[in-house]
Amino acid sequence: MSDASGVSTEVELVQLLTPEGERVGHPQYSFDGDDDQIRDWYRDMVLTRRIDTEATALQRQGELGLWASCLGQEAAQIGSGRALQKQDFVFPTYREHGVAWCCGVDPIHLLALYRGVNLGAWDSAATHFHIYTIVIGAQTLHATGYAMGVERDGLVGTGDPDRDVAVVGYFGDGATSQGDVNEAFIFASSYNAPIVFFCQNNQWAISEPIERQSRIPLYRRASGFGFPGVRVDGNDVLAVQAVTTAALERARSGNGPSFIEAYTYRMGAHTTSDDPTKYRLADELEHWRLKDPIQRVRAYLSRTGAGQDDFFGAVDAEAADYAADLRRRCLTLPEPHLLDLFDHVYAEQTPDLAEEKGRYAEYLESFDDSIPEAVEGHPQAEPAYGGIA
Amino acid sequence: MTVLTMAKALNAGLRRALEADAKVVIAGEDVGKLGGVFRVTEGLQKDFGDHRVIDSPLAESGIVGTAIGMALRGYRPVCEIQFDGFVYPAFDQIVSQVARLHFRSLGQLKVPLVIRIPFGGGIGAVEHHSESPEAYFCHTAGLKVVACSNPVDAYWMIQQAVASDDPIIFFEPKRRYHEKSEVDESATPVALHSARIVRSGSDLTLIGYGPTVRTCLDAAEAAAQEGRDLEVIDLRSLSPLDTSVVLESAQRTGRVVTVHEAPVNVSLGAELAARITEQCFYSLEAPVLRVGGFDTPYPPSRVEDEYLPDLDRVLDMVDRSLAY
Amino acid sequence: MAVQTFRLPDPGEGLVEADIVTWRVAIGDKININDILLEVETSKSVVELPSPFAGTVTGLLVNEGDTVEVGTPIITIDDDVTVNVDAGDGSDSAAEEAPAGESRVPNLVGYGVRTTQAKRRPRKPEPTDGAAAEAHDSVAAAFSTGAPVSRRADQREPLTPSPANVSTPSGGSVAPLPRPGPATKGPVLSSGGTLAKPPVRKLAKDLGVDLGSVSGTGTGGVITREDVERAAAREGAEPAPATAAAVSTAEAALPSAEPAATETRVPIKGVRKATAQAMVESAFTAPHVSVTTTCDMSATMALIERLRQRREFRDIKVSPLLVVAKAVLLALGRNPELNSAWDEVAGEMVIKHSVNLGIAAATPRGLIVPNIKGAESLTLDQLAQAINSVVATAREGKTQPAEMSGGTFTITNIGIFGIDAGTPILNPGESGILCIGQIARRPWVVGSGEGERIEPRWLATLTLSFDHRLADGEQGSTYLADVAGILTDPGLAMLY
Repeated sequence: MSDASGVSTEVELVQLLTPEGERVGHPQYSFDGDDDQIRDWYRDMVLTRRIDTEATALQRQGELGLWASCLGQEAAQIGSGRALQKQDFVFPTYREHGVAWCCGVDPIHLLALYRGVNLGAWDSAATHFHIYTIVIGAQTLHATGYAMGVERDGLVGTGDPDRDVAVVGYFGDGATSQGDVNEAFIFASSYNAPIVFFCQNNQWAISEPIERQSRIPLYRRASGFGFPGVRVDGNDVLAVQAVTTAALERARSGNGPSFIEAYTYRMGAHTTSDDPTKYRLADELEHWRLKDPIQRVRAYLSRTGAGQDDFFGAVDAEAADYAADLRRRCLTLPEPHLLDLFDHVYAEQTPDLAEEKGRYAEYLESFDDSIPEAVEGHPQAEPAYGGIA
Repeated sequence: MTVLTMAKALNAGLRRALEADAKVVIAGEDVGKLGGVFRVTEGLQKDFGDHRVIDSPLAESGIVGTAIGMALRGYRPVCEIQFDGFVYPAFDQIVSQVARLHFRSLGQLKVPLVIRIPFGGGIGAVEHHSESPEAYFCHTAGLKVVACSNPVDAYWMIQQAVASDDPIIFFEPKRRYHEKSEVDESATPVALHSARIVRSGSDLTLIGYGPTVRTCLDAAEAAAQEGRDLEVIDLRSLSPLDTSVVLESAQRTGRVVTVHEAPVNVSLGAELAARITEQCFYSLEAPVLRVGGFDTPYPPSRVEDEYLPDLDRVLDMVDRSLAY
Repeated sequence: MAVQTFRLPDPGEGLVEADIVTWRVAIGDKININDILLEVETSKSVVELPSPFAGTVTGLLVNEGDTVEVGTPIITIDDDVTVNVDAGDGSDSAAEEAPAGESRVPNLVGYGVRTTQAKRRPRKPEPTDGAAAEAHDSVAAAFSTGAPVSRRADQREPLTPSPANVSTPSGGSVAPLPRPGPATKGPVLSSGGTLAKPPVRKLAKDLGVDLGSVSGTGTGGVITREDVERAAAREGAEPAPATAAAVSTAEAALPSAEPAATETRVPIKGVRKATAQAMVESAFTAPHVSVTTTCDMSATMALIERLRQRREFRDIKVSPLLVVAKAVLLALGRNPELNSAWDEVAGEMVIKHSVNLGIAAATPRGLIVPNIKGAESLTLDQLAQAINSVVATAREGKTQPAEMSGGTFTITNIGIFGIDAGTPILNPGESGILCIGQIARRPWVVGSGEGERIEPRWLATLTLSFDHRLADGEQGSTYLADVAGILTDPGLAMLY
């Protein structure tokens, strides 16, 4: 049978670890690591999920304005994140908390963003993890341009895989409809940029299903732009790691862009403001729960003895402690001050802005906060309502 | 000293920039082999290679978005948007990303990007080739916006814009591309974000930028024959505005008329009027008056001369100001 | 051991209230952080709320089925551990209560908008040194005279900058790119111009006050309205139109000359300056023609005596000027060209339908010409009152600018100075001005034929100046004859 474009409808899905936790082979890809690595990635995924859960709870308690959960996508993010070399660079969307984890971004920074303390202020130069981009798909162009810069630095195709740089641009299924994403594909292809386009197809863009975005499997889009695409089981951390490693190699060695469609599922809502029960059925969730990325690794580790109860217990305990500490740190995040932000608009401050800042500072000074009523109306005095009294 | 057209002066300035800093790259549609539709980048790809002078696909958002990526990697891209009316597909990348990355990252990320845009009318073009969109960008915090009016400024300002660590929208008055001037390449330039008094006067201040500086100077010449002594300011920097020059002049003459091609509604003239009135209230003999395009979309070229502010429209407004 | 209160938060579904559906805990339960406390139902769906505290449930403050607003306390929990959420790292707000009556309306992407702020925050009192008086201070700062002169004002920058002493780099290295340079932000200087806001400038113009001669008492040297009014009163408030028909004998005292000086200089300002301007404008714009007649005012004088006896005029001063004014008005009805204006720009002669009759008044401040609007429609006693009123007001120096503008015809009485005739200059914008000389007893030929004789009569000379663009010699003469006729025989007024 053929799809709308006339191509055969047989859809590939690279998989190396079944939902039941069994290792399987693949003609093109293989997992070349050991059980130590698999245990590590198990821990990575558990911690990622635990952090995500804590953040969701904090939002429900009024401590964050919003949270975009990555529940269910841990394997796609840890698998690709752990494939990166330290010299590579990542351009995420706003949901890649697992990739942030791999790049060494302290999760408190992600919480700070969603709490409204700042707009994303971790050190992207040090972590090689660009700050989150809320505008859908815009970052794919930045990633492509960055890759073009890397090439001009002479860090592509030198033959030294520890030196050659690859760039990964993350985006979702919905983003593939955006003009900017398609322009990124064009530019990357035209200039043979060393970039991996990593699409987490979690099936939903808020309430729009993937079928609204594309008539063909997303990975097939790539060939239209002139570079290879592959669909991988996004809930299979081994397969994701293998496929991403290969794609990064390709980019690093100067063979240009490629497209990875990590076929996964958004188990949670689009954000904490979303109600998915409005547009999807409970049995769909159940269907995907059977494909849970963490469960299958746990099943594998248990069955093979590579992981025992003490290991799982330790990971859970570590996750609980980490979450509790993260909670504490979230609640004690300092409040931002608008006055400070005037200095960050430009690299070279303008006289008018400096003056405006000065006038605002005077205005603030003019209030008599020794009077209790003053505190009530004070914008700075306003906490998240609900929550801790 | 060489006599250069504005286009050639920009070319020379860009060449200087490419020579001075290996991180400077140029990107845009037709900028490489063709040398740009106005020949502003002529000869540069031949001398600096296609890695530094990049022919882009036909995608303005892509041109700006990838330039952001290159800037994040340490490059200093100079993008060309071929015509003013075609900047809009890149508008989101400009206002949502270029303008904000420094602020978003609390100053950790810099975007030293220049976006060159030929702007303004008077060249008999079809639709979308004669726009004056500068107000949209002046209104966007995080961007800096400049406009050259003559070959000397063009030569220096483009270099300074490239050297700036902030993103700069660089407007070039396309109908002045072929005007000539002597350019001294060894001189010390005026600061980029300074306005300049190009004609001293005492009766009234005309403020223009880009294509209207010439118009204002012509008007001042004609006014001189009527016994009126007009001062003309070339704004040069639209954001930030050099209020020190503008306000000093307004205080001294007590009368101001702003002149630009863009429609007056919600324009730079409107902003200048607000600031001058606020800061010079006690010195004003007349309200600040604005001359600009009418509040219609840009008209067909056969009537564009009627639409664009000319010497008569400027002097008519000068008359009105002096009548107060 | 501290009792913590959990208030209904916004679970992010755009709700401002929720229904309590099911409590999942009971009083006395020991719970951990994130244990589900209850289910709430929003207008959209059911949401589980996790506990922010660990400890023992001590109170369920709302019941299942209640509809509760966001921010309402719903449960108390005794946390067995003292949760220290205060400013270890300088955080303030986490520990503060949500202000009552101020909440944010939630929306899809964040906290939502704040809904109410009905009270102003109290301000500190303004410091007496004025440092915090923002509006005034910014003006003061803007006009501070201590500021250096901006170089920009003097820089006459040609478009081609002059060559600077720049050493060119040797060898093949290229000079670095010129930096954008420092932003020029100098203090805005005081350039010596006058400072006054637009309405005050207009007032000064209307009153003929030269702002350059006024010292401003406003902050920063700004000239205020009061400053202008004071200057006008001091120097002589002056109307824009003024006639120089009468020599003003009541000018401000001249500064005493030094004994050895050969001349004394008086600054040209105030009344004199404006008068001069108006005279020049009038004299050199309108071609003036004067015609003169002498008339026997005896009947008028007799009429005046009779009027004084009348009830209507019991409390009103009646003078010859009244009857002259009436004659002037009546004759204008028949000779409207004398009540018109020359509109050069429109190329039209504007014949006014109404007479705004100017009465030239000599006052201590100088010559003032207020006018009586629509004088032609006044009864004689109204006209008398109006004349008396404007003259009295003028003598007190209280004539308003509006009263001095819009005049269409003027009467000037030089007879009070003992003068017979003059060559009055038109008020700018008017087409005629009548000058009446002294009414004195003089010999006059009366009677005819055999009875012709010389008798002492009340005689006065009338001089009319008019604008020859608007009226010819015939019309001017006819007009003057009409006026003289009424004054000679007031009964002729019946013919009008």
